[in-house]
Amino acid sequence: MPTSFSSLGYGLGLRNEYYEQILAQSPAVDWFEVISENYLVQGGKALYYLDAIAERYPLVMHGVSLSIGGPHALDTDYLKQIKQLAERIQPAWVSDHLCWSRGSAHQLHDLLPLPYTEESLYHVAARVRQVQDVLQRPLVLENVSSYVRSKADEFTEWEFLNALAHLSGCQLLLDVNNVYVSSRNHGFDAWTFIRNLPSESIRQLHLAGHMDYGDYVVDTHDHPVCDPVWALYQQTLEYLGPVSTLLERDDHFPPFEELLTELSKARELGATVLARRPLCA
Amino acid sequence: MRLTDWQLAFEQHLLADTPSARSDFAATLLGGPTLDVDTGLAIYHNAYLSRLQEVLRHDFSAVLYWLGDDEFAALTEAYLRRYPSAHYSLRWLGERFPAFILEHLVAEQSAPLAELARLEWAFTLAFDAPQGEPLTLNDMASLPPEAWPVLQVSLAPTVQPLLCQFNSVAIWRASKDESDFPDSQALAPAQTCLVWRHQNVCHYRSLEPAEASALTGMATTGWSFAELCAELAVTHAEGAPLQAVTWLKQWVQDGLLERRAP
Repeated sequence: MPTSFSSLGYGLGLRNEYYEQILAQSPAVDWFEVISENYLVQGGKALYYLDAIAERYPLVMHGVSLSIGGPHALDTDYLKQIKQLAERIQPAWVSDHLCWSRGSAHQLHDLLPLPYTEESLYHVAARVRQVQDVLQRPLVLENVSSYVRSKADEFTEWEFLNALAHLSGCQLLLDVNNVYVSSRNHGFDAWTFIRNLPSESIRQLHLAGHMDYGDYVVDTHDHPVCDPVWALYQQTLEYLGPVSTLLERDDHFPPFEELLTELSKARELGATVLARRPLCA
Repeated sequence: MRLTDWQLAFEQHLLADTPSARSDFAATLLGGPTLDVDTGLAIYHNAYLSRLQEVLRHDFSAVLYWLGDDEFAALTEAYLRRYPSAHYSLRWLGERFPAFILEHLVAEQSAPLAELARLEWAFTLAFDAPQGEPLTLNDMASLPPEAWPVLQVSLAPTVQPLLCQFNSVAIWRASKDESDFPDSQALAPAQTCLVWRHQNVCHYRSLEPAEASALTGMATTGWSFAELCAELAVTHAEGAPLQAVTWLKQWVQDGLLERRAP
């Protein structure tokens, strides 16, 4: 079943390592995803480059600190700044993660998993609506990788995402790598996860690399995409049709040309898959 | 266990000294076919500390260069246990690190190391401070003659003044050049170092005491240009206006000053 959104094409995460090259070479990247928190500052180089790149490319904002499932009240100052940044760069959409990242009093700076229970569902859904009221746009939420899960789970992760999208009106950022990582760690079938998502709510895909330790897999975003994740991505595109796809790299930054080559692989794979996919009415 | 209690137990696990979790919390969790709960929890515990330490390694690379990997890891772990992050942005993680060094280490070691950390933090502050509206040479050229004597200025928002009691700037420079470390030495008298951003590039400069005093007089005390000339007349006699103009031109060229509203 297709997604209901038109595709921006193939994008890269905007990282400061590549600012000057992007401006100098105007590479063939359809759009960039920016880490929102990097630009919640009052001045300097990052904002200068952000404004310059926003003039040339479509941008999407991707946050890591919303803590949508956290035990604390939502940080209204943070939300206000996110809104101001969105007004500044006019992103195609604003995303964060289905997780919590702030505890009682401390910022934990990690994308921590939630128990998939009714209590969590109503807690998160109410907060999504609150965020959407402030931002005046749908929030896009990404599935995270995880290494433990709660015995109290009443839903699978995909059931939880379905219910959350239905209750709150949020859209989904499907990280194909994270599905693969969690499927290996928890022993579920990755394709079952993806084909049971509400496909009409999927706004964007992420592709990234990880570290495979044999018995478990750690989501590091510091390696090229591996073959099983490419295969899952292909299957996902066959199912969903064209979806905005973002290649993420958060560490061990290679020369920019290497990322462009990897992005070309996604683009070629997408072209092949979509060429043989029957047109939907 | 209610959601909030479960999350607080998870938080306690991340902030604990050891990667093994409380048994009552671990009992609420499931692993996978080949990933047991203890290993899963250890992944989170290790990732928490190593992610934050990596930020501090980046923000305090000269302190790291001075201490070496092991001592830096021990110091930053103690810091993160004492002052867990309170801001949503990792950019502020190191805010209390210089003060923590003074609290945590013996005085002989802590004073020069804390000063080096303050110097590095000054670069972090200068890097993304508001731009403000620094005076330019063009602004100065268009000042009418009658505006000069009453001209008052303040430091531009990116400027971070630092009074160095030690040769921290030389140590910082050595770490950037990856050259041999000079021995830590006390400076007599202490020297003012400015760190600031101009045209999106961070700069630093040590000031001789006379220039530092003149800049403080104008930008902090609030002397007008005429008062600066009068103060300089004590030491420079009839050369005072020339010295005042020379410094003022340099400060403006460097992007250090904003005009203070009369």
